[in-house]
Amino acid sequence: MKYHRWFTPWVLIIPALAWLLVFNLWPSINTVILSFTNARPIGGGTFVGLKNFETLLHDEQLRYALLNSVIYMVVCLPFLTIFPLLLAVLVEKKLPGITFFRTAFYTPVVASAVVVALIWQWILDDRGLVNGLAEKLGVISGPLPFLSDQWLLLLSAISLTIWKGLGYYMIIYLAALGNVGRELHEAAAVDGASAFRRFVNVTIPGVRGTMVLISILISVSALRVFSELFILSGGKGGPGGRDNSVVMLIQQYSQGFEGNLGYASALSIVLFFVTVVPMLVLARLNRKGVEA
Amino acid sequence: MRSRRLSVVAGLAATALALAGCGLGSSDDTSSGSKPTVDANTQVTGEVSLQTWALKPKFTTYVEGVIKAFEAKYPGTKVTWLDQPGDGYDKKVLSQASAGQLPDVVNLPPDFALPLAKQNLLLDVAAADPKLSEEYVEGGVQAYQYQGQTGTFGYPWYLNTDIDYWNSAKFAAVGLDAKNPPKTFDELLAAAKVMHDKSGGKEYLMSRLPGIGDFTNAGVKVLSDDGKTFTFNTPEAVALLDKYRAAYAAGYLPRDILTQEYLGNSKLFTQGKVAWTTGGGNAIQDFVKDNPSLKGKVVPSPALDTPPLYVQGLSVSAKTKNQAAAIALARFVTNAENQAAFAKIVNIFPSTKASANDPYFSKSDGTPESDAKVLAFASLAKAKSLQPAVISGATNDFINQQISLAIAGKVTSKAALDAAVAKANQLLAQ
Amino acid sequence: MSIVTDPARPVEVPVEPGTAKPRRRGSFGFNSISPTEKVVRYLLLVFVLLITIGPFLWQLSTSLKGSGEDIYTRIPRLLPSQPTLSHYGEVADTIPVWDYMKNSLLVAVLVVGGNIVGSSLAGFALSRLQFRFRRIVLGLFLATLVLPGEVTIISQYVTVRELGLANTLFGVALPGMIGALNVLLMFNAFRSLPIEVDQAAVVDGANVWQRFVYIGLPSVRGTISVVAIFAFIGAWDDFLWPLIVLTDPDKYTLTVGLQYLSGTFSNNPRLIAAGTMIAFIPIVIVFAVCQRFFFKGVEEGAVKG
Repeated sequence: MKYHRWFTPWVLIIPALAWLLVFNLWPSINTVILSFTNARPIGGGTFVGLKNFETLLHDEQLRYALLNSVIYMVVCLPFLTIFPLLLAVLVEKKLPGITFFRTAFYTPVVASAVVVALIWQWILDDRGLVNGLAEKLGVISGPLPFLSDQWLLLLSAISLTIWKGLGYYMIIYLAALGNVGRELHEAAAVDGASAFRRFVNVTIPGVRGTMVLISILISVSALRVFSELFILSGGKGGPGGRDNSVVMLIQQYSQGFEGNLGYASALSIVLFFVTVVPMLVLARLNRKGVEA
Repeated sequence: MRSRRLSVVAGLAATALALAGCGLGSSDDTSSGSKPTVDANTQVTGEVSLQTWALKPKFTTYVEGVIKAFEAKYPGTKVTWLDQPGDGYDKKVLSQASAGQLPDVVNLPPDFALPLAKQNLLLDVAAADPKLSEEYVEGGVQAYQYQGQTGTFGYPWYLNTDIDYWNSAKFAAVGLDAKNPPKTFDELLAAAKVMHDKSGGKEYLMSRLPGIGDFTNAGVKVLSDDGKTFTFNTPEAVALLDKYRAAYAAGYLPRDILTQEYLGNSKLFTQGKVAWTTGGGNAIQDFVKDNPSLKGKVVPSPALDTPPLYVQGLSVSAKTKNQAAAIALARFVTNAENQAAFAKIVNIFPSTKASANDPYFSKSDGTPESDAKVLAFASLAKAKSLQPAVISGATNDFINQQISLAIAGKVTSKAALDAAVAKANQLLAQ
Repeated sequence: MSIVTDPARPVEVPVEPGTAKPRRRGSFGFNSISPTEKVVRYLLLVFVLLITIGPFLWQLSTSLKGSGEDIYTRIPRLLPSQPTLSHYGEVADTIPVWDYMKNSLLVAVLVVGGNIVGSSLAGFALSRLQFRFRRIVLGLFLATLVLPGEVTIISQYVTVRELGLANTLFGVALPGMIGALNVLLMFNAFRSLPIEVDQAAVVDGANVWQRFVYIGLPSVRGTISVVAIFAFIGAWDDFLWPLIVLTDPDKYTLTVGLQYLSGTFSNNPRLIAAGTMIAFIPIVIVFAVCQRFFFKGVEEGAVKG
């Protein structure tokens, strides 16, 4: 049975592939070359061999950044895989006003960074909402330093990421839920399965592929977190830069006219290898899932 | 220094790096900037572009007026005006410079101009215009002269400085008098203690972390004379940091300032959370506009130490096709007459010596806004650039990180300063 | 290798030609819910709403606050005490909002169009067609998600300039016109379509194009609208890239143009908030329109072959 000519798939793929090569792969090759130089954003640079990578090994800030990124991923992964799905199930059903709720849940994704920073500072600072409430309830005796302690700041940024991620991943799940046959749900409902059982036995298997893709996206973006930490740490990565993520470090090194583009590129490459690992693991899971 | 030039793999890398905007092999540390090939007397005509930074739309009429006057004065010239938004200006200029497309005349603060001058992308305007140092104030001209580079790489344009602002209501509440505010750093600390103790720890005076400018003011030598190493890890700097550290530990400063952004103190002041901030001569208007309840409560006073000098200037691209017109335009926009007119629509100060005697800047009409302006203008005479232009971007970030680490009490002040110096040197040498 | 005999994915159950899943019947039984469930659902919805709506409300209320009003009270005040729409008028007086919006819209339309076409074609081929190097190509798209993209903006700019597209809106749109993430989303969506449907169509003599247009596309409408939303918002909100590509202020997109509201010597947060709200409206419209398609996929399209 002849399904299609050999070149047909390529015709369909060529545009996307071309974009990928020109706008993603090619600049990345550049980054690789730059990582062996001491280039600044403008003007010169000389070949310095592996010097940048040697510096990396002794960079205390990189160690903090990697640790932060990994913690970020480990905490975000379960929360952001599950909550948005629950949220999607919640807004999936057509109810009066549901469009309003769906849109409202998505607004944090597009809210301006300045406003988000203002609001979260108002919630988390020493005299903020959380500390005020907790003190009133007598849970704590003094305010918790959400915005100045190394670990609490990280935790605050993680909450911010989860808060923003809810709406973002919710809509990916929503679209996927649309693809899950409703017949299955109905059949299960007729069989008298509880809502929870239907969720576990019908919904989750139905969006399994999406779940894997989403968990890949979550880990990749958690490892590359930038804006949340940037916002909450005033752009400086906290005291001693101990709340930096790898991307923040890259940004610090590459900013302005006098940045060290060579070192920033080397950091970029480290980050690449760090993010590849969870992606491969998750993609592997996915393939098994498909073939099983 | 040049030993490991990349010549072997040049074939591959040249293409790649040209794409990254980083041609290898042009990293000469040449010590002289691009010399103009024409002098100021050459016929001024032709097209020329002018790039300003965030002046639209508020000053559109002013800038267009200046351009018209220029075109009228030099028949046959045509000025194209580009105004860039405030955010991302460094990246915009960077991409223009990498692409070899700097506008002919471009507004660059001194720390933007330095790296461009190092790459021979800017003209030494003093070479074409010998009267430069006679007509503009010394501090302004010096801001565009760099250690290790010969030349002056921009016409100083407008100047500003910082003065102190105090919240008189908060002062009164704890029995202090804002009309007689602290005059030295130690008095400031003492007042911060009073503010803290009398309000039961609810009110704050200070909310600013020390920076390079404070070290300079404390008599610390920040950069070596040859401009190649940082030297701010001195006992004086340690002592200053220790004072902040003790004040922070005692709760005289809000805890969250460790992670606040630059300008965080004026934001907290606007929000009525602290009783002191520094700001330019025009800052008082913003405080009251954002928070009208501050009206009548903001009292200005001169800066505690040597006030910082902030300079903006117009540089001329070395690649301009019309040097004569570009230089003439930069000079025209920054001349005494045009600057004075500019300074009258916004609280900035002219960099021309001729403006010093203008009574507009030295006589207050009695309003707090006008008081602040007069104070700031008087401060200008003493103001100095407190932070070397080589400290920008990454260097600045790393220094601030170490300072806040010390103030948080995580490491000793000495250790933090040593680490900051090491890192800054590493970035400088690169 | 011109003839491929095995289907795109392993098929567990051979299906007789012509039989496909029955068209879905009305689902009234499933959609009707008890009053208790309704109450619980609304309670949950309102709870999440309280968590998520903050920034939006803050922005809205700031933009409506009169200039005599304190916008930095310790406890944020939501209701303006001197409500005014004047800041919106002022935004329109300050910058050519409509022109900037037109520019933004043009860029967004190009990006949305490019992504819908490019990524659905690629996603379809990757998930429904068998060919050599399929896995490698797929891996490439996956790898793109993690490629080091932090320090590449200048080199992107140089590429666009080499193509002669500097200072054009097309140059702004170009790099974003096909995103790897969107290709993967489409791949994933096409993959969840039962393979039997395809086989049936093949037996009926449908060619690749027909299968794509009549079977594939209608069943992944939900994901297409997600792609559209992502692409639209990405293009609409981008600041740094258009700023670098464009030199001529007449061509600025709205996000770049809005920067003029915060000048060197003046900063009125109320005005900026009004500007942000204006930029926000098209996003809300696009979202509200697109989310309607989330659920139509299965209902309308499963089988037409």
